[in-house]
Amino acid sequence: MRIGAIVMKRKQWEPFAFASPSVFLIGLVIVFPLAYSFYLSFQNFDLSVGSEYNYVGGKNYVEALFKDERFLGSIWNTAMIIAPSLAVELLLGLGIALLLSRASRGRPVITALLAIPAMVSPVMAAMAWRMMFGIKFGAINNLGRQLGILDVYFDWFGSPLLAIMTVVLVDVWHNTPFMMLVLLAGIQSIPQELYDAAKADGATPWRSFWSITLPLLQFTMVVGVMIRLIDLTKLFGLIFILTYGGPGSSTETVAFNTYLVGFKDFRMSYAAALSYVIVGGVLVLTLVFLWIQRIRETRTAA
Amino acid sequence: MAIAIERPRIAARRVKRYRVHRALGHVLTYLGLFAALVFFLGPFFWIVTTSLKGNEDFFAFPPVWIPAEPSLAHYVALFTRSSGARYFTNSLVISSLSMVAALVVSLPTAYSIARWRFGGGFLSTLLLVLRMLPAIALIIPIYIMYKMLGLTNSYLGLVIIYTVLYIPFAVWLLVGFLRDFPVEIEEAAMIDGCSRLRALVQVVVPIIAPGMAVVALFAFIATWNEFLFAIVLTGIETKTMMVLVTSFTTGGTDMFYGEASASVVLGVLPAFAVAFMLQRYLVKGLALGGTKG
Repeated sequence: MRIGAIVMKRKQWEPFAFASPSVFLIGLVIVFPLAYSFYLSFQNFDLSVGSEYNYVGGKNYVEALFKDERFLGSIWNTAMIIAPSLAVELLLGLGIALLLSRASRGRPVITALLAIPAMVSPVMAAMAWRMMFGIKFGAINNLGRQLGILDVYFDWFGSPLLAIMTVVLVDVWHNTPFMMLVLLAGIQSIPQELYDAAKADGATPWRSFWSITLPLLQFTMVVGVMIRLIDLTKLFGLIFILTYGGPGSSTETVAFNTYLVGFKDFRMSYAAALSYVIVGGVLVLTLVFLWIQRIRETRTAA
Repeated sequence: MAIAIERPRIAARRVKRYRVHRALGHVLTYLGLFAALVFFLGPFFWIVTTSLKGNEDFFAFPPVWIPAEPSLAHYVALFTRSSGARYFTNSLVISSLSMVAALVVSLPTAYSIARWRFGGGFLSTLLLVLRMLPAIALIIPIYIMYKMLGLTNSYLGLVIIYTVLYIPFAVWLLVGFLRDFPVEIEEAAMIDGCSRLRALVQVVVPIIAPGMAVVALFAFIATWNEFLFAIVLTGIETKTMMVLVTSFTTGGTDMFYGEASASVVLGVLPAFAVAFMLQRYLVKGLALGGTKG
C-alpha cells in the first residue's frame, strides 16, 4: 500500500496521461464542432448559394421561433407523436413487466425474447413495419383481407392522423421493451416481505398492487418516461423510413425537419440554429429530469 | 363436534379454491405473455418468411404466410444486384474498427478515473450531456468539417465519429468493472518491476476481459444501428446496411419486398445475438443509450 502511495505521488502526470486520448478526441470531435456550429448559427452560411457567409445576428433564431411555420409545425408533430407513444409505452410496459414478474417459469428467456425489438435499429424496425403496412403485399392488409375485414388497398399512411397513429404504433413496438425492462427491474427490487405482510393482513392482490407496487414504482416510471421523452425528441430514423415526413409534412419531427433544411436545402447556418433550438428544448427537459432525480435521492435518503 | 368435523372440509375447500385461482392466474399470465410475444416477435417472423418467399407468393390469395418452397433467391439478388455484400462488409468493418478503437481509447481513461478519480464528476456530467445531446446538432458542423478535410465517404471519418461518440459510455461501464478489480493484484505486479501501463495490459485486462466484451458488444451494436451520421457521411462505396435499406423505400410501399426483407433480416441479426448475450446489462445499456450510437 505504502509503495503504491509513493509511486502515485511521484507520478502526478500519470492520471492525465492515461485520460488524455479520450479528452483530446472528445474536445476535437464533439466540443469544438458544437462551438463551431453555435458560431455558424449566427451567420448566413448557405451551401446552395456559395461558401461565403456573413454575420447576421439572431436572424436565424427569430425566423425559427416566429416565422418558420414548417418548423413550428414539426414541434407540434413531435409532441403529437410523443404524448400517445409515452402513454402507451408506459401502460403496456407496466402490464408486461407485471406479467413477467408473476411468471415463475421461463422468465429469463421470455424477457430476452421480448427485449429484442429494443436492440434493433430504428431504421430496421421502421422498414419491417413499412413492409407490414404495405398496400398490396403487406402482412396487415393481407391478414385483413383473409379475414374479410380490410380492403387490400387500404393505405395506412393515407391521412395525417392515420400516419401519426402508424408512427406511434411502430414506436410502441420498438420501445415498449425498454420500458418493460426498466419497470421489471423496479418491480423486482420491491422487497417480497411487503407483499407477505399485506397478505397476512388480508389485502387482496389488487389492493397490494395499488398500495405497494404502484407507489414504490413511481420514480422508476418517471425515470423511464423521462429517458423515453428525451429519446423521442430525436426521432429521426423511424420517420425517415416510415413516412419521410409525409403525407405533406404531417409527420415531420424537429430532427427530421432540421435534417431536410441542412441536407436537402443545404442552409447550414439555419439548420445549425434549428439544432440549437432543439438542444435548448432538450436541455430544459434534462434539467427537469435531474430535478426529479434529486427529489428521489433526498427522499430515499430521508 | 360438528364444527370440528366441518373444519377440515372447509379448509380443504379453501385450499382447492386457492389452487384453482392460482392455476387460473398462471394461465392468464402466460396467455398475456404469449400475446406480447406474438406482437413483439411477429414482425420478425413475417420478415424472415417473406425473405424466403418466391416472387409468385407475393400475389397469391389466400396470402402465403409460410412459403412451401423456401428459396434464398432474394439473398442472392441482394448480394449481387444491390451490392448487398459490399454494404454488409462495410457495416462489419466500420462497426468492428469503431468497437476496437473505442475500447483502446476508453480503457486507460476508465483506469485513470477508477484508480485516481481523475476529473471528479466530469465523466457523469459528460455522459448526461451526450445522452441528451441530439445527434442532429453534431452532424451539421461535422459534415462541414469533414467536407473541408475530405473525410466524407471514407471509413476513417465514420470510425472516428463513432469511436468518440462511444467513449463516454464505454468509460462509464469500464469504470464499474475496474472498481471491482482488487488493486492489490496490480500493486503486486508493479512491485515486481512492472510499469503501470504494462500492469494494466498484462494483469488487469485478462481478468476484466468479460466486462470488456460487454462494452465491445454494446459498441458494436450501437455502431451497426447508427443511421444519421451514416446517411449524411457515406457515399456510394461506404454505405452501411442502414443506408442500403433506404434505397428500397423509393417505390412507395410496394417496393422490392424480397430484397428489402432480406436486407432487414441481415440488419437485425446482430441485435438478436446481442439481446441474449447481454441480458444482464440490457437495462443499463439501453437507459444510457448504449445501443443508439
